[in-house]
Order: sequence, then C-alpha cells, then structure tokens
Amino acid sequence: MRLDLTEKHFSDRKVLGALVLQVERGQRVAVLGPSGIGKSTLLRIIAGLDREFSGRLSGEDRLAVVFQEPTLLPWRRALENITIPTGCDTALARQLMGEVGLAGREGQFPRQMSLGQQRRLALARAFAARPDILLMDEPFASLDAETAARMIDLTAALLDRSGAGLILVTHDAGEPARLGANPVTLSGQPARLQQALPSPGA
Amino acid sequence: MSKAQRHIWQSPGLLPGLFSVLAMLVLWAVASQLTERPQVLPAPWVVAARIWSLAASGELWFHAGMTLFRVLASFVIAMAVGIALGLWMGRFRTADHWLNPALVIALNIPALVTIVLAYIWIGLNEVAAITAVALNKIPVVTVMLREGSRALRPDLDDMASAFRMGRLERLRHVVLPQLAPYIAGAARAGISLIWKIVLVVEFLGRSNGVGFKIHLLFSSFDVAGVLAWALAFVAVMLLIDLMILRPWEARANRWRRDEA
Ligand SMILES: Nc1ncnc2c1ncn2[C@@H]1O[C@H](COP(=O)(O)OP(=O)(O)O)[C@@H](O)[C@H]1O
Ligand SMILES: [Mg+2]
Repeated sequence: MRLDLTEKHFSDRKVLGALVLQVERGQRVAVLGPSGIGKSTLLRIIAGLDREFSGRLSGEDRLAVVFQEPTLLPWRRALENITIPTGCDTALARQLMGEVGLAGREGQFPRQMSLGQQRRLALARAFAARPDILLMDEPFASLDAETAARMIDLTAALLDRSGAGLILVTHDAGEPARLGANPVTLSGQPARLQQALPSPGA
Repeated sequence: MSKAQRHIWQSPGLLPGLFSVLAMLVLWAVASQLTERPQVLPAPWVVAARIWSLAASGELWFHAGMTLFRVLASFVIAMAVGIALGLWMGRFRTADHWLNPALVIALNIPALVTIVLAYIWIGLNEVAAITAVALNKIPVVTVMLREGSRALRPDLDDMASAFRMGRLERLRHVVLPQLAPYIAGAARAGISLIWKIVLVVEFLGRSNGVGFKIHLLFSSFDVAGVLAWALAFVAVMLLIDLMILRPWEARANRWRRDEA
C-alpha cells in the first residue's frame, strides 16, 4: 500500500500537505497527532472512503478498517455482524469471536453488549476480512485503562498470528510501542508526516 | 410473535377502548329509536342482520374480495415506486431538485381528479382503477421515504464501502433496516388511505366491489345496506392491520428491545 499525497482540503481549508506513506504486509506504523490534525481524514483516504484528494493511492493489498466507533449493524446479531459485511463463513466468525473473548455472545444484538465488547466485535470483523493491512482509527480511545490494555494485547496477538500489517492513527503516544509499531507524527498546518521524536512515555 | 400479541391484548388501553366502542353502539341504538324515519338511521341490529345475510349469501366475500384485490395491487405498486423514488431523492440531491416540483404538484392534486383523468385516458378498466389509486398514494410514500433516506447513517455507509459490500447486500442489511420504521409508517398510513380511494374508484367506474355496491344502494337510498358494507369492510381492514401490519412492525423493531 502506498499513498503519495499532494494535498487534501475541505472547501477552502487545507488539512493535509504533501506526504508519502508506504506500508507492507507485516509492517506496523502508528501515526500520532493531536485531535483535529487530520488523522481520520488521512485514514479515510487510505481506506478509499474519500477520493477527493490530489495525489495517488496505489497497491493491491486487502484492507480492513476498525473505525473510531464500533460501527456495527444494530439490527443484526453479533455473528451476523461479522459474516454479513465480510462474507466470511460462520466457522471463521465463531472462531474469531472466541479469540476476542466473545464466545457465547454470537446471538446478541450490539446494544446488549458493552462498549468494550462492541469494539472487540469490530476487531473480529476486521480480521474476518483477512486483511493484508489493518487500518485502525483510535480504536482504544474512550475505554477504561484496563479494557484498553487488554484490547491492545489482543490486537497485537491477532496481528502476529495473521501476519497483517497495521496503520494505526492515535493521539496516545504510549500505544505504538505496545503494538511494536513504528511511530510517525502528523503535525503542522497543513499537516505533514515527521519521524517521531522518542516520546518520554515509550 | 407471542410478544407482539401480548402487547396488544394486555395493553392498558384495551378496556377503555372496548367501553368507548360500546358507548358508541348504545348512542347509535338510542338515536335510531328516537328518529322518526328509521330508513335514514337504521338500528345497529338491523345493520348487523344485513351484514349476516350478505356474508351468508356469499355476496360480501365476492365484492370485498374484489375491493381487497384492488387495495393490495395498488398498495404494492405504490409502496414499491414510492420507496424507490424516496430513496433516490433522499440520497441524491440532484434527483431531489429535479423531481421535487413534480412531487409537490402531485401531492396537491385531488384524488378525484386523478381518478377521473385515469378513467378518461386509460379507459373504464381495471388498469385505470389501480393506476389511479397508486398514483394518489405514491407521492405520500415518496415524501416519507425521502425523509428516512436523509436520515441514513453515513458511518454505516462508510463501513459498508470499507468492507466492499455488494449493492444488494447493502440494501438488505444496511439501508432497508434503517428505513423499516418509515416503510412501516407509510404502509399503515397508506393502507387506510388507499381503501378509501378504492371505494371512490369503484363508485365511479367499476361493476363490482364494495364501492360499486354502495353506489347501487345510494341510488335506492338504502342506508342500512351502505352501513353494512362499510362496517364489514372496516372490520376486514382492521383485521389486516392487527394481524399482518402490526406484528410485522414489531418484528422489524425487535433489535431495539433488550432481550433478557
Ligand atoms: N467532512 C468534512 N468537512 C469539512 N471539514 C472536515 C471534514 N472532516 C474533517 N474535517 C476537518 O478536518 C480536520 C481534521 O479532521 P480529522 O481528520 O477528523 O481529525 P482527527 O481525526 O485527527 O481528530 C478538522 O479540523 C475537521 O474539522
Ligand atoms: Mg479522528
């Protein structure tokens, strides 16, 4: 996957400047930056959800996204929330639900689950798509510390097992190290990518 | 299913509802006894006897069946076209800009005008009758579904695109469940409006159906007959609402409720 971005603007406001981002299967990259800098915008461009930018997006890799919110189908049960969007078979969906600690909840509707459980379901759904590169948009935000830590370990384990690459965007400088991801920062106006300074927390 | 039924039969409004119907019957009975001219306001039991004899002779089932067929045919057409148009106008602003004036005009054309023009342009036949009724209903369904389509969640659209869901899958699992409350609303509002228009269509240009019978009875000033046909058909429509539309609505909304 390679993105050569010239620039990205919303109406007359330039949000992202020129930047290059290249990630391959097995590689992990974390894009750090404060809220509002353009992290979600960048991830949406990479995911192919926003095509109104100048630059070039190339690569044949299979991508899967874990959004900032769980973004589940409220009217479909947990298992169907994996099989319907990804088209994977029930066996794989069950296995993944077990791996993220949701065994036995296959028949529940999303609103019967806690936020932490919904997020893990979204994680299982992304891996069910058998991605070459996983895209994650602040997937650990607004979870309590303990739940967030468990989900980070879970993500790392699933990445190890599947061999998928990772592009994570986050404002938390502690997360890249725990996922073994190479940190780069997004900063400036319009925002560009910089190699991150070693952060004190890492 | 059992849940939905319990919902109806155990509702706190049931008893007052029954009493209010009973009170109306008593009022009707008293009024019918006080009037000088019983042919203008026949007693409830006279009307009940008429319904009974119509049902026994089979006449009721034939004409109510014809009316019901017209109701269902125009209902299905109006819902299908209205949902498609509403979805299109709600999702694409250009479509909305081009079609909105036509929609506003269509909403304001009296049902009677559509019916008369359909009979003149298409002919005094079944196609004209059903087209006229559907045309009356399509704009209303379109408006309701356009509202629903504007409220579709963009985050779920993104999710569907990110996972490359196919068009049909998307419609079935992402879009239609969100539109279900609007479709159910349009269906229930629609069916009651449609059967009233169907009676007018039959009154003006068909040789069977409840509206046709009412036309005949109106010519001979037979109020008991008019009331008998009207009440019998109201009962049929209420039954459809209770037995089909409400349970379907409850089922479509199951995911909203917490299950134990
Ligand atoms: N659809 C949009 N239209 C206009 N401005 C937007 C849109 N999406 C994001 N922005 C703006 O772009 C900037 C970056 O947003 P975002 O990528 O969501 O930031 P982050 O994810 O880093 O918090 C913000 O200032 C936001 O207001
Ligand atoms: Mg964001």
